[in-house]
Order: sequence, then C-alpha cells, then structure tokens
Amino acid sequence: MAQFRLPENSKIRPGKTYKAAADAKDVRSFRIYRFDPESGATPSVDTYEVDMGKCGPMVLDALIKIKNEIDPTLTFRRSCREGICGSCAMNIDGVNTLACTRASSEVKGDVKIYPLPHMPVIKDLVPDLTNFYAQYASVKPWLQTRTPAPPDSERLQSKEDQEKIDRPSACILCACCSTSCPSYWWNSDRYLGPAALLAAHRWIIDTRDEATGERLDALEDPFRLYRCHTIMNCAEACPKDLNPAKAIADIKKMIAERQH
Amino acid sequence: MSLRSPLSKVLGRGSAKNGVGHWWAQRVTASALILLTAWFVIALLSLPALDYASVAAWVHAPLSAVLLSLLVGTLVYHSQLGVQVVVEDYVASKGIKVLTMLIVNFVHVLLGALGVFAVLRVAFGAAV
Amino acid sequence: MSAYQFIDHTFDVVVVGAGGAGLRATFGLANSGLSTACITKVFPTRSHTVAAQGGISAALGNMGEDDWRWHMFDTVKGSDWLGDQDAIEFMCKEAPAAIIELEHYGLPFSRTEDGRIYQRPFGGMTTHYGKGTAQRTCAAADRTGHAMLHTLYQQALKNEAQFFIEYFAVDLIMENGECRGVVAIDMAEGTIHRFRAHKVILATGGYGRAYFSCTSAHTCTGDGGGMVLRAGLPLQDLEFVQFHPTGIYGAGCLITEGARGEGGILRNSKGEAFMERYAPSAKNLASRDVVSRAMTIEIREGRGVGAHQDHIFLHLEHLGAATLAERLPGISETAKIFAGVDVTKQPIPVLPTVHYNMGGIPANIHGEVVTIRNGVSDTVVPGLMAVGEAACVSVHGANRLGSNSLLDLVVFGREAARHCEETVKPGTRHRPLPADAGDLAVSRIDRFRNAKGSRKTAEIRLDMQRVMQNHAAVFRTGESLQEGVKKLDAVYDTFGDVSVADRGLVWNTDLIETLELDNLLGQALGTMNSAANREESRGAHAREDFKDRDDVKWMKHTLSWVDEKGDVKIDYRPVHLNTLTNDVEVVPPKARVY
Repeated sequence: MAQFRLPENSKIRPGKTYKAAADAKDVRSFRIYRFDPESGATPSVDTYEVDMGKCGPMVLDALIKIKNEIDPTLTFRRSCREGICGSCAMNIDGVNTLACTRASSEVKGDVKIYPLPHMPVIKDLVPDLTNFYAQYASVKPWLQTRTPAPPDSERLQSKEDQEKIDRPSACILCACCSTSCPSYWWNSDRYLGPAALLAAHRWIIDTRDEATGERLDALEDPFRLYRCHTIMNCAEACPKDLNPAKAIADIKKMIAERQH
Repeated sequence: MSLRSPLSKVLGRGSAKNGVGHWWAQRVTASALILLTAWFVIALLSLPALDYASVAAWVHAPLSAVLLSLLVGTLVYHSQLGVQVVVEDYVASKGIKVLTMLIVNFVHVLLGALGVFAVLRVAFGAAV
Repeated sequence: MSAYQFIDHTFDVVVVGAGGAGLRATFGLANSGLSTACITKVFPTRSHTVAAQGGISAALGNMGEDDWRWHMFDTVKGSDWLGDQDAIEFMCKEAPAAIIELEHYGLPFSRTEDGRIYQRPFGGMTTHYGKGTAQRTCAAADRTGHAMLHTLYQQALKNEAQFFIEYFAVDLIMENGECRGVVAIDMAEGTIHRFRAHKVILATGGYGRAYFSCTSAHTCTGDGGGMVLRAGLPLQDLEFVQFHPTGIYGAGCLITEGARGEGGILRNSKGEAFMERYAPSAKNLASRDVVSRAMTIEIREGRGVGAHQDHIFLHLEHLGAATLAERLPGISETAKIFAGVDVTKQPIPVLPTVHYNMGGIPANIHGEVVTIRNGVSDTVVPGLMAVGEAACVSVHGANRLGSNSLLDLVVFGREAARHCEETVKPGTRHRPLPADAGDLAVSRIDRFRNAKGSRKTAEIRLDMQRVMQNHAAVFRTGESLQEGVKKLDAVYDTFGDVSVADRGLVWNTDLIETLELDNLLGQALGTMNSAANREESRGAHAREDFKDRDDVKWMKHTLSWVDEKGDVKIDYRPVHLNTLTNDVEVVPPKARVY
C-alpha cells in the first residue's frame, strides 16, 4: 500500500549517545536505529562511538563490539559472519547489504545503520520477514517432475545446463533485493519481489524440471510478476552479485514467447 | 491482526493468468510510436510552412490522415496502458482504484475519439 | 514463576535444529505421517550447514573406480580407529543412495562432461585401501552446503513440515530418565512454549564458539549438548576438536579443503611445499589433523609467513583463472573480502582454525541417545535422539574426514526419521507431563533475565574462549591442560556473577546469548577435562607428553558428565570394533601414515 508519510508511531526521536573512551584514537560514530516494542516509545537513532583501532574491519564486527562492550541491548540477527547465511542483511549508509561483508572503511562519515527498508520492525535491526519467506514458498521452489527418476543413479544434466542454474541457486534469501525495490515497497502484498522471482526462474530454467508451464502460469499476473518495472535496484543491492532483474526479464520473455 | 497464514495471504486468489498482453502491448505501441513519431516530425519539418493551410493540405493526403489517426490512437492507447500501471502501483484502496481506472479509461477513449475525429474532419473537409 | 505462562503443544516427534540433519529428519517425518514440529533458533537456511563448501562424500565412482568399502577404510583410518565401525559401515554403504536422493530432490550439483555428478579429491579419501587418490566428494561448485541446505529446506516446504522459527530451545523435559519433550522460547513474542513429544531429536550442531577463533557461525553454541548435560546425561569424546588447516588468518573464515583437492598447495616462508615432508604420499591432501599439526610445527620452527611469521600461505594461482571461477568461485570471493587477496595472483594467508566437534551426544546408528546405566554401555535413553554434529555416533572418531560431515547429516537424519516411523504410531496418546515439567527452563530464563551481576555475558564468553584457544589447541600437554582446567573452573565461577542488561522478552538476544554461553561453558569444561584425562595422542588430540596412540589403554570413548557446579565426571564406552553386516571386514588398527 502506497503510504508516503510515516505513521505517528514510526516517527524517529533523538536517541542516546555513547561516547568512546578518552584514550581512543581512531573513533567512528555508528548511528543505529533503535526500536523496542515493549517500551512503548517511538524509534530513536542512538549514536555509538567506536574505537576502530580495537575493532574488526566489517560493520558486523562493530555491531558485535557495541553489543559486547557498550550496549548489550542492541539487537540484530547474525550468524555465519562470512556472507553465506544471509542473517545480517540491513541498510548501511543507505544501501541494503550484509553487515558481515561490508567494511566500515567503505562508508564515508558516520556509519548509519537501519533495518531493511519498508518491512515491519520487530526490534532494533530485526525486521519481520514472514511475508518474504511465504513469497519464496509460494513459487514452489523444489524440483517437480512426472518422469520417474532413474532408480539407482542421478538425473543427467549437461555442464552447460547446470551452469545456468549454478549462480541463481547461490541466492542466500537475505532480502536485500526485495526490500530495495520501490515496486516491492508499494505492493509487497501482491508483488512477489525479486528474490522469489529469482528462485522461480532458477526452477523454470532447470532442465530437470517438468513443471515449466505451470510455473509460468502461476506467475503470469499483473501483480505477482509484472509489478517489476526494471528499476534494477535488486541487481544493484545483491551482496552475492546475482541479477534478479535479468531473471525477471527472462520470465517475461518466456511468457511472451510461448504465445507465438 | 490477521489470523490468515502468511502463505494464504501471498497465494491470495491465485494468478490472474494475464498481464503478458498488457506488457506486450506496451512494447508494441512503444515501437509503433517511435516509427510514427519519427514520421510525424520529419513530415512536419518537410512542410513548406507550418501555417494552417499547409498543414491542412498535408492532412488532406490519405496517407497522412491514416498515419496521423494511427499516431493519435497509438499514443492514447500507450498512455492508457502506462497510466494504468501507475494507478495499480500507487492506489491501494480497491474502490478508489476501480473508480480511478474508469475515469482514466473514459478520458483516454474520449481523447482518442476527439483526436481521430479532428484528423478526419480536416482530412475529409473541403480543401483549403 | 507464575509470571511465565506455558503455551503447550503436542506432537509425535519434535526436532530441535534445522540444519542439514534436522531438516532431513523433519521432512522425512512429515512425509511419514507423524505429526512433527521443527524448532529452530534461526530461519532454516541460516543454519551453519549453509557454510559447508567442499562437498559430500559417496563412492559413486563417477570420476574413476570407487567402492564404499574403500570409503569405509578411509573413514576408519581417518578416525584413528576411534570410530565405531558398524556405524561407519552403515554411513558409507548408505552414502551413494543418499546422494542420489539429494540429486533427485533437485540439488544443483556440478556436472561431469557426460552429465553425471562431479566429484573432487578430498583429504584422506583413497582407492584400494590407501593406494590411490579417490575422487569421491560430490560438489556443487564450492557452495555444496548451501546447495544442500536450501534443497533440504525446499523439500521440507514441499512436504509441508511444521516449523517454529526463531524459537530458542532452552531445556529438555525429563521424567525418570525418559525425555518427554522440550521447552522453547519464541524470540519474536517472548512467550514460553512446552512441546510434548514421544521423541525429541536434537540436531543442534557443534559448539565451535567455545573457542576464540573458529570457522563456526556465531550460532554454533552446542545448545543440544548443553541441554543433555543439564539433563544429567553424558557427552562423548569432547576432547576431539577438529582444527581445519585453512581458516583465513585473522578472520577465521573457512577456505575449503576442496581448494587443495583442486590442486592448491600450502607453502612456508621459504616457499617450500612442506606437506611433502609430513605426508609423502597424500601431501596436501592428508587428513586435517595431520595437515594442521604440520602447519603448526612449521610456524613454531620459524618458517611461518607474514610480519609475525605466524601463518602459512595457500597457493591457488597456478590453477588458472578459469578453474578458479568454475570450481572455487565462493572462496575466491571470500578471500577477496576477508583477506584482500586476488586468488588468481596471490596466496591466501591461512591458519589452522577450530572447525568441527567430533564429539557430542552419544547415539547409536538409529540416532537414539545412549548412556551407561548399570554398567551397560549402550543403554538407550527413551524418547531422546540426536543427529548431525550435535551427536557422536561415532562415525568420525578422533578426526573427521572432509566431506564426511554433510554425509553424516543426511544419512543419519534420514535414519532417525525412519526409526521414528518404525517405532512411533502416528497419533499415539501422550501421558500427562509431570507437574514440574518445564520448571528448569523457566527458572533459568528468569534467573538470567534478571541477572544483576558485575560481568557482562560477552566478557565471560571471551574469557572462556581465550582459555580454550590457549589450552585445548592443536598440540596439548598435560601441564597446560591442567592449567586450562583450573582457569576454566575460575571462568565458570564468574558465571554466577553474570549481568544481563536487556530485561525485555521480545527478541532479547542478551538473554539468548547468556543461555548459549551456559551451553558453551558446560561443553568447554567437558572438552578440557576429557583432554587432560586422555593420556595418548589420537587423531585431533595430539599430546606432546604422550606422542603415541595407545590402543591397549585408550581405544575407548570418553564420556563426560558436567554437573551444575561445573564438576566433571568421566567414564568410558568401548569402541565398536565390529561391522554391522558380513559385507565387509573389520579394519584392524595399524599405524596411521598418509
């Protein structure tokens, strides 16, 4: 639903500032969105001064340092810290990315950290991704076949055909792409978004799959698919350098082609 | 708070099984507009003068009248397709959306009809 | 305690954890018609299985001749004869079918020219009982764990499995030595849920985060092991902690063994490919404990690289840009981000880094948790099962071979589901839970949430991690281990003085990290004490004061109990030196040379 003004309870009030120790040499300010649903207060942006001389290079290192040493109430998701699990997706310096693979030094000035845009916030940097996951599930992201598999061996697939699905399969479901897409912001209730469509495409082009037609049928919808207006924010945001926009264009092309 | 399951919300009423027609029409009309607009600009520039008499005489020619009518029709159709997308993008309330689309469509049809009528009137009118 | 209300659920089976093993068990169970819940503290595809890179082993023979018996031989040898041979036989024999099944689920395996699953060489994997090099590790580029975890989650979606996502399991519900269910906290709501089940399957992974530097995710805190210890049950073989030879220096991120499988070479400061001296035949593809020790010795003897001569270089440049892009795209990216290295031109700085726990919850091949009771070493704990890295079946013994872990997950995850299918009738009535069910969990939640001590959770965790890193390292001595035990006891004492700043219930990660630290501390104590106790060198446990393996005295599994005071009790279980069937003969113990 297009909504251009922040609702009253989302307006941000000034937050606290946590000063660095006096002897700290290389101090950077991290300005972090805070929201505690149990406090009843509206969100704030707190400022944490971090001594970078005693902190790892990545933004996640700084967040963990803040949580460990300055403010244990700071809340965010994290797990693998090497860019493969997709937990620590957030908006850093205006860009959706993974905190674990974005170096603090890549950001000029204060490091501003917000949750992924336009998602319901549960607490601090933790957004509610339920709808995002349901969209992924809705494209039936599993192999569908009618021909029985050979009983004792793999289905064969050529190297070239495997290469087509190799990269798209590497999506980590971090939601950086979908939440960077204005079309998704306005219509996330009906538009599936780049991540789910990339997943759908990965199965559409898998030569082992036998449900291509049904998959295209399910996507041919003014909202599910055609809300993509080729804005390309998704490809720009993807921390794994995937290109959902291209995958979506390919789906549209396939649907058009099968008409003639 | 809705008690519907997240998947139920996403699946909603299922696929509308259309959209490709709209998408394709946008591209076809866009291509047509490139050709028609190029023709229109070149044709106008090659007129001896841009006064009413010269233009009316030009419109009088059958090819000009036909292509000009097509230009108006295509332009209006393309615009209607585009505005529809904008409305679908930004108007969430179902009632307002239907109403807006009705008005948008009526206005486009009206504009198209007026445009084509104007062309034909000049084309079939007495020579200046 | 009345402030907390339980929300009760009843299922036939509850799986805790949604990594490879947990997911494989979950959808197997969902498919069998048993009502099943999978409780997981992270969304399934965030589980640490996702970070496995190199591949999954199975004697498919797609890239040359192979036989599951050779695979079994390699695994027994890799385990330094601490692995249970019946379990290893089972795993290696089931492997080809398990991999084919994954392919049929749609896993995007890399392919050979003739369209079959691509297999690469891996450490310790040989043909003809140690004579040749096997290409046995099935790979999806260098993202095999990612491909596998996503495939398994997709199958769970297909089978409409029920998940409780971002629920943190706190404690088991035990009644007279039987497991009746599990208590979990819903992180998003802050509500406490009591799950009653005929079987609880723990698939909670390892406890790598007990160490300061590890390849493990922040979430690898051994929560299942912690719950088992608090239930008064033992853990097995905790002293066997695998150091992966190639963690990125500094960051600790993993560089797959597949990098060496594809031809990568470790070199010291003199540019020497030193593995040739330590493992003349397998060289860079010797098993992980051997390579990690060799690297440690090189550094110790002053041949390390870098300003402080404290790490080793892994060279991949000679493989060529095309091979690196096709076979190792993920680690090329990881090396760029975390070491600032272009692998087509420069070597990667690496260091042995804590990677895997061979030990865990003792279980039999069906996944049933076992313990010693009245002198019987294979007594099943009713209602409780364990699979994956959380469990110790033991297929990895004293040292796991690379690519046997993903295999362990799917084989035993599937077997656990099959076992439940055989032993639990769907919809079987449940007895009422005991009156105090869940009290342990609630008392711990309440205590930690209101903890007003003087030490932050993170400070105590760091203390523990430093002790583990310094005293339970690649090489160990009795003296240093004893010192480690003392220091760890001191750290454990400070845990009573913990402070938690976040008093909320919604997404209180301060509380969750404290509960995780409690789990880690128990296993750290078990690890250090078991290591101090085992006076021999075997697999990953290398004692400088007892350099040899002692099969007479020590061919046995360590069991360790850790009570609430932090006191550790040790006992033993015999190693299964027998096979499951007559399809293969026992691999008799001999010296382990690569």
